[in-house]
Amino acid sequence: MTHWKIGTAALLGAALSVGSAALLAATPLFAQETVKLELWSRQDPSGPLRPGNVVKAAERLNKELEAEGSPKRVEVAVRESPAKGFDDDALQLLKVFGIGEGPDIFIAAHEWICAFQEDGFVLKLDDYIAKYPQHFGTIFPSLWSSAKCPDGTYAIPQDAEARMFFYNKKLLREAGYDAAFVDAMPERALSGDLAMDEVLEIAKKVVDKTKAQYGVLHRPNKGPDYIMVFQAYGSDFADPETGKLLLERDKLAAAFGWFERGVKEKVIPANNTAMEFDALRKEFYTGNAAFWMYGIWDLGSVAFPTYGLPQDEKAFFADWGWITGPAPQKGGKPVSLTHPIVYAIAADTKEPELAVRLLGHASAADLNTDHAVTTTHLGIKPEQLEDPRYAKAWPLARATELLKITKFLPNNSQFGDLNGIIFAGIQGIESGRLSAQQAADFVIEEASSTLEDVIVK
Amino acid sequence: MTTIADELTIERRGHQGSAARRRTNFVIFLGPAIILTVLFFVVPVIIDITVSFTDLSRSLRISEFTTEQYEKVFRTDRRLSQVIGLTFIYVFGTLAIFNVTFGLILAITTTAIRNVSGSFFRGVWLLPRMSPSVLYILLWLWAVSPTEAGLVNQVLMQAFGLDAPLDLLTSAPIALIIISNGFIGASMGMIIFTAAIRGIPEHLFHAAAVDGAGTFATIRFITLPALRWPISFVTIYQTLSLLVSFEYILLLTKGGPFYDTTVYALYVYRRAFESGQYGYGAALALFLIVIGVIVALIGWRFFDMERLLQRPRIEVH
Repeated sequence: MTHWKIGTAALLGAALSVGSAALLAATPLFAQETVKLELWSRQDPSGPLRPGNVVKAAERLNKELEAEGSPKRVEVAVRESPAKGFDDDALQLLKVFGIGEGPDIFIAAHEWICAFQEDGFVLKLDDYIAKYPQHFGTIFPSLWSSAKCPDGTYAIPQDAEARMFFYNKKLLREAGYDAAFVDAMPERALSGDLAMDEVLEIAKKVVDKTKAQYGVLHRPNKGPDYIMVFQAYGSDFADPETGKLLLERDKLAAAFGWFERGVKEKVIPANNTAMEFDALRKEFYTGNAAFWMYGIWDLGSVAFPTYGLPQDEKAFFADWGWITGPAPQKGGKPVSLTHPIVYAIAADTKEPELAVRLLGHASAADLNTDHAVTTTHLGIKPEQLEDPRYAKAWPLARATELLKITKFLPNNSQFGDLNGIIFAGIQGIESGRLSAQQAADFVIEEASSTLEDVIVK
Repeated sequence: MTTIADELTIERRGHQGSAARRRTNFVIFLGPAIILTVLFFVVPVIIDITVSFTDLSRSLRISEFTTEQYEKVFRTDRRLSQVIGLTFIYVFGTLAIFNVTFGLILAITTTAIRNVSGSFFRGVWLLPRMSPSVLYILLWLWAVSPTEAGLVNQVLMQAFGLDAPLDLLTSAPIALIIISNGFIGASMGMIIFTAAIRGIPEHLFHAAAVDGAGTFATIRFITLPALRWPISFVTIYQTLSLLVSFEYILLLTKGGPFYDTTVYALYVYRRAFESGQYGYGAALALFLIVIGVIVALIGWRFFDMERLLQRPRIEVH
């Protein structure tokens, strides 16, 4: 019996030790933990890789985690919002956060980031950015200012772009301007020699002397491009010392005056704000308008694929071109506006470290270049300039010139609301309901009564 | 043999039974309506009043209870007087031109012609009401498009030799919102008035004809007096409906150009949902509720609706 007992014990012992070894070997497999990170992104055909790059970044992060021997793996779930613009999207997301259903990561227009910061919805990133220089160290320093709120950095720049006045060279030549004049316009605008009113003059000549119906067209809804005109006339909308919203009556009236003159001269259509976005683009790209105030990405998103504008640099510049926002008067300062989109992380995410690392990978030069070259947005890192694909995408290189004079929208949580009021002012002028002075008064009255801490000068 | 006392007891039991039955009937027949009224009218009003005394803004958080929103309504909102004036023009215009007058004309004309033709034309006028609002407004947007492709411009330019296309959305936006809403609103009046006209005893028309009454005299002395009550109902109902509806305006003009077609209900929507000022929107909405109740009470009194609800005024044979 004793013999049997020893045998059984030996067998049991062997089985146990083999089993334990197998179990130990299999432990990482069983203990692997999937961290689901939800990403909020607006359905936006002009930037599908903004969320797409985060999804791709998860693969890279997971490899990195595996190499580190970490049991964690990241899975990204994209939650798309059907908002028609970044302003609507931000308002929607603020509500979602308000009811405690916020995502872990979100994509937003930079000027909204402080609205999230004020309500405590977004994670402060300064320490993380310092901790991961391999991811964030080379991002253009100028772009970081678009991600800052008064007490620190709350977002990671995802892209940049340049806003300009596109123009139809063929129409200008038809109107009687010689080729040398037409081709020199970008340089003259950049040096401050071509003023805002000259744009109206040129546009008027085009409307009078050619079949083109429109002189200058701009977006039909609230957005950043027309703010460029206000910046040209000196309004930056933020007090540099306090960061509060700043409205200067004379400067506002001067900018509104440009729109007023444009409508009076029948250069800007009175119903510009009632037209559809696509209809406006069609008018410009099919040769029915001299100027179109918009952004560089419109080439890649619409002009090339939809209206067949030449993709070859030389062929494009033969009949088309762009100028920066001109100076208010000859010899003044020209302007351009960039409107970075940013990645941000929710303050209450359970895995902030992983979210930061994920966005670090999503900001990799190659992935960001994928986004830049496919949607004609500017990159965020100098190393992207060396990428042959980036160099080949000539609109990017050419638009980068404008970054020398570019400005941002103010990172004030109420700027979105103020912009709505400014847009209503433009609509009031163009439809003949307000004069430039009345529009300036309207903006000040409306902003003072509905927004907080507005400084009026 | 039953005594008087027994009979009394039986009768009392009977009464008790009918009282219980009345209570049961009340719960069965009125209970659902009461629950719905409380859920969809009383509770929202209470929520609206509560929100209007808070600083609820875009992140849906309340940090304090305050009367700030009412101060804004009374002191600082300079747009409000324009919005109220426009709302009056819109409601009165749509009601007077289309919902009552045009509805009445449609009812009288379609009942005066052959039944088949009348039904056909009534069906045509019902089409806008049956179409989804987005589709209906898309057709309007095409009709009034400021380009040569717009239907109105095609007609004006080709048939009447107009030189340049008209931009009605910019030059006549108030007329457009009245007409687009009116085309839909008229059909409700049309149906109710048609039913009422059909209910007028036919011998009255024959008698009038024998007495030598012409068409207008018949309408004035027979049809219109019989329609007093339906007209009252349509007026009050459509006034309230126009006061709070704004979807067609939002789709057609977005309240613009500038604030030209921003009626009160749309103004509340823009403040609350486009600017994220929910507390302020709630305060504004409360005034809309108050205005609605006042209008309903005035209408009730003015048209003496109490009598209407007491017994039918149109004899049905």
